[in-house]
Amino acid sequence: MGDFLPGTLDMLILKTLSRGPLHGYAIVQFIHDASRDVLAVEEGALYPALHRLEVRGLLRSRWAASDNNRRAKFYALTASGRRALSQESDYWRRVSAAVTRVMQTA
Amino acid sequence: MSLFASVVHRLAAIARRRRLDRDLDDELAFHLSMREADGRADGLSAADATRDARRRFGNVTYLKEQTRDMWTFQPFERLMQDIRYALRTLGRSPGFTIVAVFALAVGIGGNTAIFSLMSASREAALPYPDAGRLVQLWGNVMRAKVERRGASYPDYQDWRAQAKSFDDMSAFDSQWITLVGGDESERILSEDVDTSYFSLLGVAPALGRTFRADENVASAPPAVVVLSDGLWRRRFNADPAILGHSVTLCCAPRPYTVIGIMPAGFKGLSDTAELWLPFTAWASADVLAARGARGFTVLARLKRGISMSTAQADLDMISRRLEQAYPQTNEKRAVEVSPLDVELFGSLRPALRTLMAAVSFVLLIACANVSNLLIARSEARQREIAVRTALGAGWRRLLAQLVTEGCVLASMGALAGLALAYAATRALLATSPVTFPSFVTPHIDLRVALFTVAVSMACGIVLGLAPAMHARVSRLADALKDSARGSEGRSSQRVRSALVVVEVSLAVVLLVGAGLMIRSVRNLAALDPGFDPRSLLTLHASIPRTAVGTGPARPVVEGRALLDRLRAIPGVSDVALGNDLPLDGGAGASFYAAEGMPPVNAQNMPRIYVHRVTPGFFSALRMPLRAGRTFTEAEVSPTSPAVIVSENVVKRFWPGQDPIGKRIKFGSETSNNPWMSIVGVVGEVKYRALPENPTADPDMYLPFADRNALVGIVVRTTIPPASLAPAVRAAIRSADPSIPVYSVATMDDLTGQQTAQSRFTMWLMGIFAACALMLAVVGIYGVMSYLVAQRTREIGIRLALGADHGDILRLVVGNGARLIGAGIAIGIAASLALSRLVSTLLFGVTAADPAAAAAVAVLAAVAVVACYLPAARATRINPIRALRYD
Repeated sequence: MGDFLPGTLDMLILKTLSRGPLHGYAIVQFIHDASRDVLAVEEGALYPALHRLEVRGLLRSRWAASDNNRRAKFYALTASGRRALSQESDYWRRVSAAVTRVMQTA
Repeated sequence: MSLFASVVHRLAAIARRRRLDRDLDDELAFHLSMREADGRADGLSAADATRDARRRFGNVTYLKEQTRDMWTFQPFERLMQDIRYALRTLGRSPGFTIVAVFALAVGIGGNTAIFSLMSASREAALPYPDAGRLVQLWGNVMRAKVERRGASYPDYQDWRAQAKSFDDMSAFDSQWITLVGGDESERILSEDVDTSYFSLLGVAPALGRTFRADENVASAPPAVVVLSDGLWRRRFNADPAILGHSVTLCCAPRPYTVIGIMPAGFKGLSDTAELWLPFTAWASADVLAARGARGFTVLARLKRGISMSTAQADLDMISRRLEQAYPQTNEKRAVEVSPLDVELFGSLRPALRTLMAAVSFVLLIACANVSNLLIARSEARQREIAVRTALGAGWRRLLAQLVTEGCVLASMGALAGLALAYAATRALLATSPVTFPSFVTPHIDLRVALFTVAVSMACGIVLGLAPAMHARVSRLADALKDSARGSEGRSSQRVRSALVVVEVSLAVVLLVGAGLMIRSVRNLAALDPGFDPRSLLTLHASIPRTAVGTGPARPVVEGRALLDRLRAIPGVSDVALGNDLPLDGGAGASFYAAEGMPPVNAQNMPRIYVHRVTPGFFSALRMPLRAGRTFTEAEVSPTSPAVIVSENVVKRFWPGQDPIGKRIKFGSETSNNPWMSIVGVVGEVKYRALPENPTADPDMYLPFADRNALVGIVVRTTIPPASLAPAVRAAIRSADPSIPVYSVATMDDLTGQQTAQSRFTMWLMGIFAACALMLAVVGIYGVMSYLVAQRTREIGIRLALGADHGDILRLVVGNGARLIGAGIAIGIAASLALSRLVSTLLFGVTAADPAAAAAVAVLAAVAVVACYLPAARATRINPIRALRYD
């Protein structure tokens, strides 16, 4: 997951968490499944990104019990995280649409 | 995130560091275990599941580092980590660490010690405010060469009135006087100064006041005196009521009123003064009025922004004006402006600079040594370094690690070195043959500390770079292969051999330097001063006068009576009196004329140093009599026309003639002074300084006739002269208890003082050279041992193939001898080049001296022994074991 366009991983994390708090492994699984295995590279690369987003105040974390009743660290979006997500999504839509148009016409 | 927020976050994280680390570990462990569980659920074996989880996750350590960077100060963290790592590594090989730290401590400590001396003798270290603007003015005369004579009072008054470059000036002279009263009269050094003296030096009295302008006038100056704190406490119990009371100074016509006490520690420019008198108080009015009576210096402060050369030009113009106005006294006279720090330390600086260079060579040798050790270690650590590189440590990271290790080592060396330097400067100042001014104290100030830090960091970087460069050269991948272990890269051998050559050549330079200094000191000691300085005790006495009836004042003890008492002391073989003695600094000169001499001018007007001596003076000093005779008892009278001259007088005026009966007189030939007849000729004497008198003027001797209150006494002894001092003192005291005795010293002490600077340089040079030799030998030994270890297999094969012990010895020793030979050749070339730079420190030797050859021979011999030991070990290699060595 380290070879995306810069900033893409952050956006994917924010999007994934917009459905509710998740721990790191669940985030990986979600991205993996939702992209039909296309976006599955180094899983560890997620953690520096998670911590960076938390430091920037876009995520907050707390320790809680996971589905199988183990202690796990859950991340959730903050208000500014939601704002950042909507900005990033708008931007992504514009850019990807533009890229698609270029690829189709050229 | 702004830099500020990031810093705040990181600062806040410091307290939670441990928890954050643990949380991250937990979080990643959770992830891996979840992935493993899923893998197991998909039917993988436990081992495969673990491997799969790890593969998908990536480099755990690297990602952990990446994440941790979020809440740490990375460069700082890394530095701390590197330091911890370096300390652990160094702790694992204590032998290496001790040797390296010791070598660096010697190098850094030596540099710190000499630097602190240099630092203490710079202009800014003078204990006076804005000392850079303080200068001394010398009245000079242009004779065969420029000679320093000092100022006369009328000249000084003119300089002061006309010069525009100075804030202020003060006449300055010093003399020993007797403080009468109390249990014992005491000789103390007095400075005769003008009113502005104290403000020039920026010092105010602790009590009372200093002189007023109207107390420093030539006509009828009031009798006032300022005391030092030390004298006030010693003699007057620190009683403030002394102000306004008077003290008796011998031999002043009236008592002096104490007007002020200087603060503790102030001892004047002479650094030993205990009392200050108005400049005009002591000299007689006719001396103060005589423009030709020169002999004191002038302290002055340059105006802000005025350069030394501007001030010099200013005074040059005044000198020319005075020369025109007073040709009789001021022909060929000039003024020299000399910075005060140069006056105080100028003579010492070439020696200090040379010593600084020498001790920096010692440090270079130490660094070369430790670099060699580090390279050896880095070879042993090649695999470790290779593994770290493979695990993702970047080249920069490794370099940082190695340099950190070097700096840690250098810092340990610096700490030990600072302690060494402190002790060394203390010992140096205490035992130094050179007397440093009292304000030069052993201490490590900020400047010195910064110097030490800078030097040790530079060492650290050099020490780190050596193995780093070496590691870069050798192919890292090879290090991982076992086959690469036995053969060391040729390039590394070359680096290490080059370091040995450098060490040897530096050591040669230092040894040659020390050899030349030792020779210089020997030459100085062997120098014939024109008399025999051995077994002589010298001392001075001030003999009070008493008025008897209406007749002239007579001394309380006649010279003849004094001689009789001294001669009676057991152990005394000869005794004589003179108004001054060789090397006691009391000699004074006069112009003279020889009967029938050709006309002279200011530049070649004959000048002669005058000494009044008792008839036994020449035999007591063992001065050779070249012609005629010494004085008879009958000639011992103030009006005797008999004179004895040194042989240069005869060489100048009556070469090849019989000088006995020729006549000379003081002043010019037309003056009214009486003619004196030469009755004897003695050899030239280094009366005023060693190795040479400051000027080539000859000496004349007149009969001692109790005209002088100050008497020099020289005693030739049959036992060690210093041991006779108490008996001589007692004998003088028994003659009259009111006679103060002072400046008691053996003649060897006096000659020693003259050569103190050479001995100072010699001792330090010797110590540095010894350090250099030791370090270089350790370095050679280390490298040769290492090379032997490296070539164990090769040597084993040679032995197995039939080489005998001689072959192996020749192989190893020959290898070392080539390096040593190269080092010696370079060192000799460097010595020849450098010896020219230090020629002012040398006396009667050149770099081609046998002492230099001896120094090189010593080094070569010791170095070959250092090669031989590993070579001998090589011959004992067991071929079978050697082949299995890998």
